[in-house]
Amino acid sequence: MTDPRHTPDDELIQHFRQHSTGEPPASLDAFILNAARREAPAPQPSLWQRWLHACQRPRWQMAFATVAGLALMIGVVMRSPVPQPNIPTATFSALHEDAAQPAPQAFSAPAPAPMARIAAAPKAESAPVQAEIAGALADQSVAKMRKRAPVARPSLEQGLREIIRLREAGDSKAADEQLLALHARFPNEDLPARLEALQKR
Amino acid sequence: MAVPDDPPSDESLLARYRTGDAAAFEALYARHRQGLYRFLVSLCNKAELAEEIYQETWLSLIRSSTQPQGRASFRTWLFQIARNRLIDHWRKHGVHNPLHDSYDEQLHAQADDSAGPEQQLSLSRDQARLDAALQDLPEDQREVFLLRLHADLEVPQIAALTHTPLETVKSRLRYAQQKLRRLLAEEVPV
Repeated sequence: MTDPRHTPDDELIQHFRQHSTGEPPASLDAFILNAARREAPAPQPSLWQRWLHACQRPRWQMAFATVAGLALMIGVVMRSPVPQPNIPTATFSALHEDAAQPAPQAFSAPAPAPMARIAAAPKAESAPVQAEIAGALADQSVAKMRKRAPVARPSLEQGLREIIRLREAGDSKAADEQLLALHARFPNEDLPARLEALQKR
Repeated sequence: MAVPDDPPSDESLLARYRTGDAAAFEALYARHRQGLYRFLVSLCNKAELAEEIYQETWLSLIRSSTQPQGRASFRTWLFQIARNRLIDHWRKHGVHNPLHDSYDEQLHAQADDSAGPEQQLSLSRDQARLDAALQDLPEDQREVFLLRLHADLEVPQIAALTHTPLETVKSRLRYAQQKLRRLLAEEVPV
């Protein structure tokens, strides 16, 4: 296939190219290539290599260590568990407290100040779950305390007043039962005399 | 079947060398070592001087951190460095720079009566005769012809490199080729 643009001038150029000789000496080639290798710029380190290099400098090591330590501390503080109510202790406390005191107040036992602050710290994610757990535990504890706590018995005077009230109401049967119960509790008391005195008052 | 990738351009090889890839320079050197060397030998006609300029040109390129500017190709840039180095050498040693001679193209134009299609002529293949014909050319014609021959540059690139008007380059190239054809013509025995 012939190039239509092929001219006699191109033939002349090709003729010279075919018959041109002359090569640079091998020693000159070697000298230039060695110089090129020797003076080639150092390859630029990648971003990761530069980061590593910076990490190896003492000044940056201190800075990174400080930041890492702070991050670790914040992480530990933020992830510390909410202080769980100690149910047996609460139950035990409730048994020894006044029976009139509401049972849920057992949970408000004074905690150490830092822990109280931590417990009060906002926890967006775990707050609903923790509230649910705390509620369930509270219900459970109240039930236990109701079961285990002694029933508050009325005093002698209260019992006598109740008898008077029942008699005034016409419920003499219940009044007699109440009087028998009081007699069983207070066998040494002269219940009719005290009842009469109370009625006079 | 996978199609082989195009070879990287001269400019990309130089850019890779500038970022530390020594192998890129070896590829670049292999492409241009022969053309540049022959250009210098033919232009100054002294092997020792040609080698000196050749070495300086490559070392200058190695130690420089610049790239070809604007639309100039690497090849144009490389040959321009070599040409400037040669001119500097001549200037430094008080040698008259033949490339700057003003030359009357018309006076040296001779009728080319040897290239007619009816004539059975061929060009001499004798190396000594080829060299002699090149050296017989006026300096500026020889420079233009050698840039076309060894650097494979087009006329506009030669004009830019030599800071010569385009038409002047064209006429120099035409006269050079006419003269060479005449000097190398051999009659084919029938």
